[in-house]
Amino acid sequence: MRAIVTLAVKDTRLILRDPRAAVILLLMPILLVLVIGVTVGGAFDPNKKEQLRISVVNLDAGLPPDAGDFPDRAWSQFLLDDFAGTADIKVELIATREDAQNLVRSGERAVVIILEPEFSALIHRCSFVGEPLKKNPINPLYRDGMRTQTVGVTVLRDPTQEVAAAVVEQVVQVALMRVVIPWMIGQAFEMIGTPAFMDKMKKYVAGIELLPPSLLKSIGDAMQKGISGFFVDYDFQGKTWAKLTKSEPPPVKDSNRTAYQSDGTGTIRRGAVRYQTLVPGYTVTFAFFLVLVMGWLFASERRHGTLVRLQIAPIARWQLLLGKLLPCLGVSLVQGFALLGVGYLLFGLPLGARPEWLIPVVACTSLAAVGLAMMVASVAKTEQQVSVYGTLLVILLAGMSGSLMPRYLMPEEMRAITRITPHAWSLDAYAQLLTNPDPQIGIVTTACLALLGFSAVFLSIAWWRLSVSN
Amino acid sequence: MNRTILEIDSIRKRYGATHALNGVTLSVESGELFGLLGPNGAGKTTLLSIIAGLLNADTGSVLLDGQPFRAQNRELRRLIGIGTQDLAIYPDLTARENILFFGDLYGLNRQVLSTRADELLTAVGLQDRANHRAGTFSGGMKRRLNLAVAVVHSPRLLLLDEPTTGVDPQSRQLIFTIVKSLNSSGMTVVYTSHYMEEVQALCTRIAIVDRGSVIACDTLPELLRLRPSRLKIKLESPNERFEKRLGALDGVQSVTAVPEGLIVESDAIGPILPRLAEACLEENVTPRAIELNESTLERVFLHLTGHALRD
Repeated sequence: MRAIVTLAVKDTRLILRDPRAAVILLLMPILLVLVIGVTVGGAFDPNKKEQLRISVVNLDAGLPPDAGDFPDRAWSQFLLDDFAGTADIKVELIATREDAQNLVRSGERAVVIILEPEFSALIHRCSFVGEPLKKNPINPLYRDGMRTQTVGVTVLRDPTQEVAAAVVEQVVQVALMRVVIPWMIGQAFEMIGTPAFMDKMKKYVAGIELLPPSLLKSIGDAMQKGISGFFVDYDFQGKTWAKLTKSEPPPVKDSNRTAYQSDGTGTIRRGAVRYQTLVPGYTVTFAFFLVLVMGWLFASERRHGTLVRLQIAPIARWQLLLGKLLPCLGVSLVQGFALLGVGYLLFGLPLGARPEWLIPVVACTSLAAVGLAMMVASVAKTEQQVSVYGTLLVILLAGMSGSLMPRYLMPEEMRAITRITPHAWSLDAYAQLLTNPDPQIGIVTTACLALLGFSAVFLSIAWWRLSVSN
Repeated sequence: MNRTILEIDSIRKRYGATHALNGVTLSVESGELFGLLGPNGAGKTTLLSIIAGLLNADTGSVLLDGQPFRAQNRELRRLIGIGTQDLAIYPDLTARENILFFGDLYGLNRQVLSTRADELLTAVGLQDRANHRAGTFSGGMKRRLNLAVAVVHSPRLLLLDEPTTGVDPQSRQLIFTIVKSLNSSGMTVVYTSHYMEEVQALCTRIAIVDRGSVIACDTLPELLRLRPSRLKIKLESPNERFEKRLGALDGVQSVTAVPEGLIVESDAIGPILPRLAEACLEENVTPRAIELNESTLERVFLHLTGHALRD
């Protein structure tokens, strides 16, 4: 036991006196998270995925008191449901006009749609027919589509992102038409046969005024039925796009509708969602850079000739390996917790609902890293070999695993391949604990067991290699 | 305690097609300062590595203190200290930390170890640099620290492999003093070198190694006797009779006629000089040159192997 402690203390001292270890294991990941977080960090927002985001400020005051039986809810809800029911569109609700103006001004959003307080009232007035059949009618249509301002829709645009803004505006136009046109058609169709409608008809059909009102109503009803029978694929009284086209209404996907989350504050975007990906990603990546530190320790023992002294000293091989493994494990644990701590304090990374589970995840990741480091150290003979092959291996594994770039950006097949790396399992566990509001502890436990398995395999290979080389 | 601390029997070792050791047999008595002399590549380091358990011999055996030595036998490993040809110290630890670390590995009592570290630092002249990192030391200082580390656990057998490689004369002298002091305190030392002056100055018994074989092993005087000192005198040759007279003198090895006269060679330097002087006076011959080739291990090596030690 004393020999192990002696070796561990010595190696800890050597690691602490080697500035390379601190730079690689702590400084580099923090700097990378900082730089990437500030520059292209938005790309690491897992909520972004591949969806088109429609940012909306809903100030709609609702339907006017005399709105009648239809619709059963504010017109703004129809519009938002239409957005959310469209595949690959995500609705982001922004609380205030000021927030929206700031986001557009700062370039964080290309366009934001504001549904003004009178939105429902204005939509409700949209009609193909004029006075006196419809009171205060509005015709929102024109050659290019809908006059958005006419129906209480204000569009805030970032002039530097015209293309993105145009795409979003087109989507909004289409959604508005899907809401407004069935409403306008339905109202118009319902008027066919009404006394006011038949009264208007007197102007175009000679002698109609001689018919009794009951006959006029029958004619009106017959006209409605006749038109409906002619256009069998449509329900002109439907007033919604689904009913008009006699199709199933799209499922309302609540997951596609989220409240706007401020993407961090200050220059480094403290608290931004990106850090939920970046901090664990780089914590895992740089945990495996332990390969270099441990490899250097072994290689320098060879270079300085001290390995010979250790080999003739009255200590067993397992004591020697344990004496080297423990300080590296200690360094790795300190690194893991320190990076999460920096993530929490500097980048505002929330530690999730079950922070206590971060302890086994960090520990198991460290054990896997130490195992890999020991394996590389048992193969590489010189510090140059450690630097070249170790770095290559670590970067390759990090790239394959999705710890350098988010896995949701990877093709489906590649995501499955990531499982051959310990990094991917560690990232799974971190994703549950740091991103999921209701962490699945089963997934975390499985990931920890997988990491322990990796560690056991790596250490076995290292033991075998050292036996052979002796 | 066994009188013979190290017995090596018929050790053979090959590296591929190269025979590093060809059946080396040696024994070292307890308390000896035993020299292994041979050129680079003779197999000295391989032999020390096998003795220390760092290499396995292909055939043959090593007995340490009368017991078969196996690298796994940790108790026997305690008997050995090694001063490797390449330095074996941590440059990022201080001199004192290096000594304490290796002392700790051998399980020395912490208090005893602290005192021992002070003693060793003083002995190797590094007491003023005790708390400086070894990486900042000169080559000689590193060598001295290397030696201190090798003996921190007071081994009974100290293996020193070319301990003065690359050191300044002052450090070399200090290393000699330390080695002699360790030996006089009872420590058996096996000292390898390709510097015959070192081995000649330090060792009581010497094995000459060449191409993986021990070609001679004896005390220094006995080895020197294999190639004694030789006197070479150049003389005029007044007549044939004088040449015959010189050839008949007791102690003269050879008389060779050369264009300038005669060359007389003799290994019996003491007795031959008055006889030669008498013959020269009688013939009125003046010696032109007198050359004394002293007996050295270098000459012994050349005599035994046919090539110089530094080839």
